Amino acid sequence: MRALWLALLLAQGLAAETPEFLVRRDKLLEFQTQPQSAGPLGYAAIAARLKLHRTPEICSRSLIKLLDAGPTGDMFWMFPVVAIAYLDQGQLSAEARSKLRDAWRTYMPYRGDTENHWLMYYTSLYLSAQLWPNEPGDRWYTGKSSQENFDEARGWIEQWVKLTTTRGQGEYDSPHYMGVYLIPMSYLAAWATDPAMKKRATMMLDYLIADYAPENVDGILVGAQSRVYDAAVLDKASNVASGFGWLWFGLGKQLPQYDQYSPWYTFASAYEPPEVLRRIATDRSQPYTHYERKRTRNRWRFEDDLHGTVYKTTFMRREYAVSSDQGGLLQPIQQHSWDVTWRVPEAQGKHNTLFTLNPHSSVRELQMYFTFGHDGMIETVVRSKKMYDSPEKLVGGSPYEHILQDQDTVIALYDVAPGARFGHVNGFFSKDLQDVVEDPSGWIFARGGEARIAFRMLQPYTWKAMEGGDRRLFSPFGRNGVVVQVATIAEYPTAELFRKAILQLPFQFDVKGIPEVTFRSLRGTAMHARWDQPPDRNKWPLFGGPFLHADVDSEMLVIQHGKLKRTLDFRTLTSTDQQ
Amino acid sequence: MRALILLLFSALSAFAQHQLYACVSNSKGYVVGAKLQPSGVFRKTAAGEWEHLGFNHPFTSALALSPLDAETMYLAAGNGVIRLGRPGSGDRWKILTGSDVTELRDITFDPHDAKTIYFTHTRGIAASNDSGVTWHNASGNLKHRYTESVRLDREKPDVLLAATEAGLFRSEDAGTHWALAGAGGFETLRVEQSPSDSCRWLATTELGGFFASTDCGKSFESIGGQVAIERSVYDLAWNTLHPHQVAAGGFGFGVAVSSDDGATWEFRNTGLPRADVWSVAWDPDHAGRLYASVHEEGVFVSQDSGKSWKLDGLPGTAVNRFYFASAKASR
Repeated sequence: MRALWLALLLAQGLAAETPEFLVRRDKLLEFQTQPQSAGPLGYAAIAARLKLHRTPEICSRSLIKLLDAGPTGDMFWMFPVVAIAYLDQGQLSAEARSKLRDAWRTYMPYRGDTENHWLMYYTSLYLSAQLWPNEPGDRWYTGKSSQENFDEARGWIEQWVKLTTTRGQGEYDSPHYMGVYLIPMSYLAAWATDPAMKKRATMMLDYLIADYAPENVDGILVGAQSRVYDAAVLDKASNVASGFGWLWFGLGKQLPQYDQYSPWYTFASAYEPPEVLRRIATDRSQPYTHYERKRTRNRWRFEDDLHGTVYKTTFMRREYAVSSDQGGLLQPIQQHSWDVTWRVPEAQGKHNTLFTLNPHSSVRELQMYFTFGHDGMIETVVRSKKMYDSPEKLVGGSPYEHILQDQDTVIALYDVAPGARFGHVNGFFSKDLQDVVEDPSGWIFARGGEARIAFRMLQPYTWKAMEGGDRRLFSPFGRNGVVVQVATIAEYPTAELFRKAILQLPFQFDVKGIPEVTFRSLRGTAMHARWDQPPDRNKWPLFGGPFLHADVDSEMLVIQHGKLKRTLDFRTLTSTDQQ
Repeated sequence: MRALILLLFSALSAFAQHQLYACVSNSKGYVVGAKLQPSGVFRKTAAGEWEHLGFNHPFTSALALSPLDAETMYLAAGNGVIRLGRPGSGDRWKILTGSDVTELRDITFDPHDAKTIYFTHTRGIAASNDSGVTWHNASGNLKHRYTESVRLDREKPDVLLAATEAGLFRSEDAGTHWALAGAGGFETLRVEQSPSDSCRWLATTELGGFFASTDCGKSFESIGGQVAIERSVYDLAWNTLHPHQVAAGGFGFGVAVSSDDGATWEFRNTGLPRADVWSVAWDPDHAGRLYASVHEEGVFVSQDSGKSWKLDGLPGTAVNRFYFASAKASR
């Protein structure tokens, strides 16, 4: 009888979920139909109206004005325009359609220098070549025929899928740029006429959403990330990832103006994730540790291998998440290596996170990943990434940071080389932390939401006030380290109980010589970290944990929650469900 | 009066044997996806104006003129090797490479085989033996492959010199095998053969100054004293009208000129707004005329081998490379 009730409840839940997604999708689409500024409609409003078959005359006039003004934006121009070409379906005027087509002859977009640039570029080229087949090179900015463009684009997209499903993404887990991986896959899932490409893209949507699902706290994508912006590393709920979390699963709150990428996702496939992914994204009933292997960005100089390996660990429970990579310089400029993120009911505007880093800025970092000359490059970077060369910065990887994580314990060690631009360690302490106590033992105790946090800096520090009430912990020692242990209020109802438990843990460290920490965590794990002795990570899976399973080089992903299971096999382009 | 001067200038220019091209970045404030000010290939017209040719492109590094067809140029660009249409012909540009190479650094033709082209890129060196229809890897055994520039020996077939991230390398078999020739451990930027002595080569580095070879590129030794130590020398140009004279451009020292094949140098920056220079070029038709690209300030010209300078045009830009093409190419 109990089982019957459960089945009925589940069925009701499933029945209620489907319309909710559609309602969110339609709300998003409706919002996009409205002009965002005076003058002609923008590309997004044109696309939304064409999708809903509204005011095609206004769409045509607006599109002509936009194109007459001259395309700009490289692949960020290509992907809106190719969507409009597919959404046209006879609605645009002949003049607008002709101008749209001709723009692919008269404007040469730059292919860019990041993985997302290339995926958008080649997806847009693939779809445009498919839409306008059998045309000679003089009809295209590339000078290549439709078939040549199509073949080149298809080859790169297939190679990207293979690389991602064997070695992981290079621009991994970016709470901003994840949108520009979802858009191309949504486009191909909707508009590719080749059944294999359509299937591949649909499976990649499952793959990318699976990459997000176990690592979100109420929609906020947490943890070690390849690229995050200065403000967004603190106000995590403002990210594109939260927009998708809301759209797919109803997580968190709808962003006031939505995010900039999920509309394009909905203009194309508007793919609704399967139930197994919804459960993984929303089930926080049991704590779990999730593992991922990713790649570094292309390293043009100084390294033997084009890609290094990124090893990620994420511990997740309802109240908080703790996540890290292994440290080191894995991405230029915007890397985020570890943090604690706690759950808060209304996350927008909250800084519900804590982390440390060595602020690193160097010519070598930039030359490794870019083609910059030795001079002027930092100045160039700072024009768009204003904090890159600041000692106060809170974003960026460092070659002088090594990280070890076990469940909700993190040890980060620092050994900054003499002569490095910045030899200190920054720690971010949020305005939204409560009950912050600097204990005579050297530990700092605090509470974030329902998370109790113990933080131990291994060298002396001072506090720097930040605008808005946050504080920056400043420890001016290059040989340094931090130990962080998190637990729940349910486990330790009072701060004193938590304090006592932490102070009883075996703990030794040395930062006079090679930085080294020995610590037994609250979970009973004996942890030992020494700067020059990285742990053996050779058996790290591409995905591992209770929900996702993938071996390196497998081209497969098993997505599982309870008895629900979906297996993606990119070698055979098959997606198999088991219930 | 101005019209008369322009007319006179045009008439004189008509006798010029070469025309100046520039790979221009007008990218102050530009990031991928943002609006790009006119950038790409520019040509200096007979009237002295700079004319933008073809597509706007943020990433153009070098140009080379086809020996087979003196009206067709090849561009090393962010999107690959691009064959430019003949100026004024309405020809379309064509990207000749695919997704396997990106952000090209240099391009040059083989003086012994007009159909053979080499270019350098973020992962080494590539070559074509059929004017860019097909390409093959010419990085051979190079371990650290990022390569800024490559040149072929005009006397010895299949001999190449490459300025790589790990020093200067020489190949005697068209890029199949490479051997370190000098400046090991330095990021090397340019390598150029003397116009008067084919066994003399001069190279520049990042922070390591100049290196010279007098044994046909087999070995390089540091030269030029301290003039560019701890500075980056981004460009190097031999003066074909005065074969022992060479100019260099870099950051922190601006323009330097040597009259003894690089053994000694003299700074020549009077009139330049800052001593940060990306590229230099001697005019092969006018003795003493030297061009320099000053970082985000524009192109400057000197009529007295760099002793004095004035703004020539393209304000706010940086020129990655100048290129003097046979005047026939600009018809």
